[in-house]
Amino acid sequence: MEERTRAYLRGRFGDYYRRAELSPPPEANEREWGYIPWTSGPGETMVRHKSMLDIGAIEEFLARERPRHVYFSAGRYDDPSANSMSKKTWRSSDLVFDLDADHLPSVTLGEDSYAEMLRKCKGALKRLLDFLEDDFAFEDLTVVFSGGRGYHVHVRDEGIQTLDRDARREIVDYVRGIGLDPDGIVRTEMRGNVTARVLSTEGGWGRRVHRRLLEFVSDVESMAEDDALERLQELDGIGEGRATTIYGAIQKNRDAFEAGNVEAGGVGVRTLVDSLVTEVVTDENAPIDEPVTTDTNRLIRLPGSLHGGSGLAVRRIPRDELDDFDPLVDAVPETFTSHDITVELDEETTVELLGDSFTLEAGVVSVPEYVGVFLMARGQAEKGQE
Amino acid sequence: MKPLHARYPFMAGAREAVQEASVDLAEVVATDEDVVERALERVEWALTDGTVGDTRRQTRVELLSYPVARVIVSTVDEHICTRKYAQAEAASAHERFVEELETETELRSTRQQHLSLDALLAEFDLGTAVRETGDGFRVTVGTYLELAADQWGDEWRLVNRSLVDGEVPVDREELYVLLKQAIRHRVVDGLPLSVPDVIAENLDEEVERVRETLSNMDLTTEIDTVVPDLFPPCMKHLLDQVQKGEHLAHHSRFAIAAFLTNIGMTTDEIVQLFEVNPGFGEEMTRYQVDHIRGDTSPTQYSAPACATMQSYGDCVNKDDICEDEINESHPMSYYEHRVEEADDDELTDWREGAGEDGDDDSDESPD
Repeated sequence: MEERTRAYLRGRFGDYYRRAELSPPPEANEREWGYIPWTSGPGETMVRHKSMLDIGAIEEFLARERPRHVYFSAGRYDDPSANSMSKKTWRSSDLVFDLDADHLPSVTLGEDSYAEMLRKCKGALKRLLDFLEDDFAFEDLTVVFSGGRGYHVHVRDEGIQTLDRDARREIVDYVRGIGLDPDGIVRTEMRGNVTARVLSTEGGWGRRVHRRLLEFVSDVESMAEDDALERLQELDGIGEGRATTIYGAIQKNRDAFEAGNVEAGGVGVRTLVDSLVTEVVTDENAPIDEPVTTDTNRLIRLPGSLHGGSGLAVRRIPRDELDDFDPLVDAVPETFTSHDITVELDEETTVELLGDSFTLEAGVVSVPEYVGVFLMARGQAEKGQE
Repeated sequence: MKPLHARYPFMAGAREAVQEASVDLAEVVATDEDVVERALERVEWALTDGTVGDTRRQTRVELLSYPVARVIVSTVDEHICTRKYAQAEAASAHERFVEELETETELRSTRQQHLSLDALLAEFDLGTAVRETGDGFRVTVGTYLELAADQWGDEWRLVNRSLVDGEVPVDREELYVLLKQAIRHRVVDGLPLSVPDVIAENLDEEVERVRETLSNMDLTTEIDTVVPDLFPPCMKHLLDQVQKGEHLAHHSRFAIAAFLTNIGMTTDEIVQLFEVNPGFGEEMTRYQVDHIRGDTSPTQYSAPACATMQSYGDCVNKDDICEDEINESHPMSYYEHRVEEADDDELTDWREGAGEDGDDDSDESPD
């Protein structure tokens, strides 16, 4: 990035911050703050171990410093500006989740467009929220578009504040379905004099697997017998004999499936459940970035600030507006929408922003400022002469 | 001072009782041999046996031995000692409160004040986090994780739990294990204490004893080699029994499983090693091994010491190494000694020769 580009972006970030109304996170004064300035040279150096005492009111600080990126800690400390973690004395920490399109198994890097990646990421976000809101019943959730390639969720419920790394890893494993043991979600119940293996239907992954099992049963029921047997044999470990037994069990005793009784239909049904478990985990897990959630000292982007690698705003998304939220429209800062600027492009590129698609040739082009800022922040363009 | 406090000296009420009685710990340590002796016993048993031993009849001795034991542990100030001590206090308390809570009310003596589950939950501020349901209990997820995250065994993993509406269902036995963890956390809390010199200097001898026990145990050595030929005779014998399909008493099964875990074997490997006998019940073994591991975290428990093995009658075929080299201290010391003495090329890890036969795909057996 050339100096004039850097100076331009820094100036315009300053204009944004002068107008922006930021609401800092709760207990902002107990948190560590950090930022990356617009400096030249290779690598980005973070200025960190700052407290609110060091930086003063957050809005004034941002308008004055105009940083490239700004972060606050998930953790709260006795002394947030101490320069080592042990001297800070940890008190508690929000539970933070990071979904990054780069890490999604469904995303094909280099093939999916930015918009496509963000769309897939939102799907993963909804799966994550399903866990956090239904299974965990968390109440204090803040959903944030990261300004880059994904979403963050900050959980601030009282009950999770003092959990250590190991406990947080359990939460990670839960939402990712790691370590799910088909035997673990099946319990053995006494039915009269015999024991029966029953899928836990009331909660957890057991409920998800059960839901899938019933869908599968309904599917099979709606098919002609030959098709049904064929469908069953597509599953791992199920041959003709077992397919016939399972099919018979479905015909005869659907209620048993409804009740989660996996004894009905013998070994075949257990195999069916095992293979559904794998399927359910693949389809329904939320592929969050583990280290972010387990790190109780993590620094996370400040909602309301600008992402220096995109020029988009880090946006809090009210829960009821999530469905309609389009990051490539709603995270475009209004400050950058009023006029056109000139940028120099190395190669041709396509940008989708504010509902328009811009196909741009290499060379000097005039574009809406938000497109120019986006390209410059990403390092695809330099500032041109006006 | 009440007998209840002597049984559960970590309780807030016990601490208050000690304070109210204006006991001067420095004076106790200097003058009350019974208390100091019992305190040392608590720590020594914690290291060698995993419990704090039997309670003394005198309430005062039993109760005061707890703060003194904490002082000893703090002065020794070794991580492993603190950990094992807290674990042993929790294990003993667990055993006591389970017995007490499970005893039919009418069988209880009326003279004594008894513990109720509600009181125990309230003691650890769990009154709102735990609620009883028709078929067990529900624990709020934050509390569950605080108490279960370092439990071993897949059944404790949150991913395998029926988490719903922010609560984890547990049965009574599991709730007791969670309470044991709460006790362990309570005991560890504040350790090591800063010990005034006037108290510490009267405990020199006891602290030295504990240090000696620690060094004999050589708990710090990490061993991860499985060579059954070098096992101590007691463990060889137990393994033989298992492989022949003999029924083992619980303590014997615990001893062999704990030993195998200590030398670095996983549950899967232990199951595989056991699997030589035809009447082998894999699920039961897996359950038991997991259960043993599940009692505490892997680095936190160890196989019984020789003294314990002897008292259970599990010490058999003693050889020269037992008597002369390791002074009948610990089966682990025996094994470590043998491994150290052996030439490296003699050491063929059992796991390197095993493991190819894990393919038990029994698909399409008749339904």
